[in-house]
Amino acid sequence: MPEPMIRVRDLTKRYQRGGETLTVLNNLKLEMEEGRFYALMGPSGSGKTTLLNLVGGLDSPDSGELIVAGENLAELDNNDLARWRAANVGFVFQGFNLIGVLTARENVELPLKLTPLSAAQRRKQAETALQLVGLGDRMDHRPRQLSGGQEQRVAIARAIATDPKVILADEPTGDLDRKSAEQVLDLLVRLNREFKKTILMVTHDPAAAERAQSIVHLDKGQLGRIEHNQPAVAAK
Amino acid sequence: MFKLVFKNLISHPIRSGITAVSVGVALFLICLLTSIVTTLQSGLEAASATRLVVMSSISLFVDIPLSYQERIAKVDGIKNIVKWQWFGGYYQDQKNFFAQFAVDPDRMFEVYPEVKVDEATKQKFLTQRNACIVGSQLAAEFPEWVETGKIPITGALFPHPSGAAWDFELAGVYRSEAANFDNRTLFFRWDLFEETLKGEGEAPGVGVYVMNVEPGADIERMRAEIEGMFENGPATVRCDTESEFTRQFISMLGDIPMFLSWIGAGVLVAILLGAINAMLMAGREQTHDVGILKALGFTDGAAFGLLITQSLILCVFGGVLGIALAAALEAPITLALGAQFPGFFIKDSTYLAAAAVSLVVGLAAGAVPAWTALRVNCVEALRAKGA
Repeated sequence: MPEPMIRVRDLTKRYQRGGETLTVLNNLKLEMEEGRFYALMGPSGSGKTTLLNLVGGLDSPDSGELIVAGENLAELDNNDLARWRAANVGFVFQGFNLIGVLTARENVELPLKLTPLSAAQRRKQAETALQLVGLGDRMDHRPRQLSGGQEQRVAIARAIATDPKVILADEPTGDLDRKSAEQVLDLLVRLNREFKKTILMVTHDPAAAERAQSIVHLDKGQLGRIEHNQPAVAAK
Repeated sequence: MFKLVFKNLISHPIRSGITAVSVGVALFLICLLTSIVTTLQSGLEAASATRLVVMSSISLFVDIPLSYQERIAKVDGIKNIVKWQWFGGYYQDQKNFFAQFAVDPDRMFEVYPEVKVDEATKQKFLTQRNACIVGSQLAAEFPEWVETGKIPITGALFPHPSGAAWDFELAGVYRSEAANFDNRTLFFRWDLFEETLKGEGEAPGVGVYVMNVEPGADIERMRAEIEGMFENGPATVRCDTESEFTRQFISMLGDIPMFLSWIGAGVLVAILLGAINAMLMAGREQTHDVGILKALGFTDGAAFGLLITQSLILCVFGGVLGIALAAALEAPITLALGAQFPGFFIKDSTYLAAAAVSLVVGLAAGAVPAWTALRVNCVEALRAKGA
């Protein structure tokens, strides 16, 4: 049986808020297979974004084991974690999180600067990624010159530019209108189907979750039910 | 990454421009103030310890008798003696201020071998009663003197008996490469000075006597002997080495080096606070970007570098601006400060120090935001509001 892409064992994460300890994830156990598209659902405060941040190495757990892409994240220090993220993870955030002073191409090139590619190769790869998301004609636009949907597609191009194993998307359609949301979801489905990317997407939107192959429900920091859909579906 | 640094800097052109220009102006001022101090100090350092100066023990502004010269000259170890008297006149207008002294022309060049003139100038100065010599800087300021050869000086302290200006004839231009002897003074002959005033029945006194001494002479003994010689005379005197005299002359102006150093330190602190403020604002605005960079896999060190590099670029650019300004304005400043600080110049070491200061200000101003960027948690940084 192949090694899961994401393995979570007895994962606990607590936060201090106003002198109180809040347990956001409580002994969570979960495994996610390579090449599948997962939607992570649950009410507010159920720990979805916290789990996403932990899986992406943006935050560290208080206890438990977290193995992603073959690496035990608890054993990595800050700098190793940063290097691991650069090589293995692509993020897509609800608020797009593009750097405002850079153009679309420059934003996409940014993670490529952590690779050994030459400037010309980086440029070519960034252009390829932007063309893949349908923004070949918007490369020199700055984020404020793009629509929300276009900004999110730039963010997806940036997430895939380094060809990561895992794409983590936190409410990627949350700030978008229906049409733009569909375009973004189509892209994610395509990345999963054509490029075999493992995708973990946090969403509140059942329609968005339907596009994933599996829906993982979290509740009060613990695993709820897991639903398995048909293989990832394109837009209807 | 450098592109991001650059784009962040130009994304706020007014703030970046004001910060760089203010660092530049501050460093220009520091160059200026430091150079005034070093100019004073270089005069002190270049002053001879083997030249003696005799002045009134009361004050430099009190004359000593003409008759003392002969007695001082007989002191064992004295090689040559020249008398100086401050003339205190002006050329055409009182704003044309520069020093003029009546001196013994024949002894002048022996006591001050660092003062160079060509032979024709020397001969004219030695033989022509109304001849004078002027420093090269002064000659450059008043080119009409060289053209006409005439220098009318109105005597404020010693008006000419005729009521007109003293008419001097330019014998030539002297040059001194020693910092203790500036190139912005006019020297004329003592005999003209004395005889002109004597006609009015009043023989002028002497400001100071300056002597050079034989090699190996016992300076301390000579000082004691000269001072003791006039203990019961009409005017008591003090005798110092030239370097001590120069030090005391500078201290008459107050503790200028200390005063200027405090002003310089104040300017430095002010600009440091300004630069820190600008960088803190930049740091706050870029917290969100730092979160993005960290999420993409950039290390904490890269986040530190993003902010510290911006600070360094701003301050070093300002430093280059200030140094360029100082270099460009050195000549006009030398001219403007000629009367108060003759021989003003900006040392290479001052430029280097200014460059070092700009680096230190850059590092200090960027340290806090860069350290904050290094330490900030990626998730918290992503929650921060972007610029």
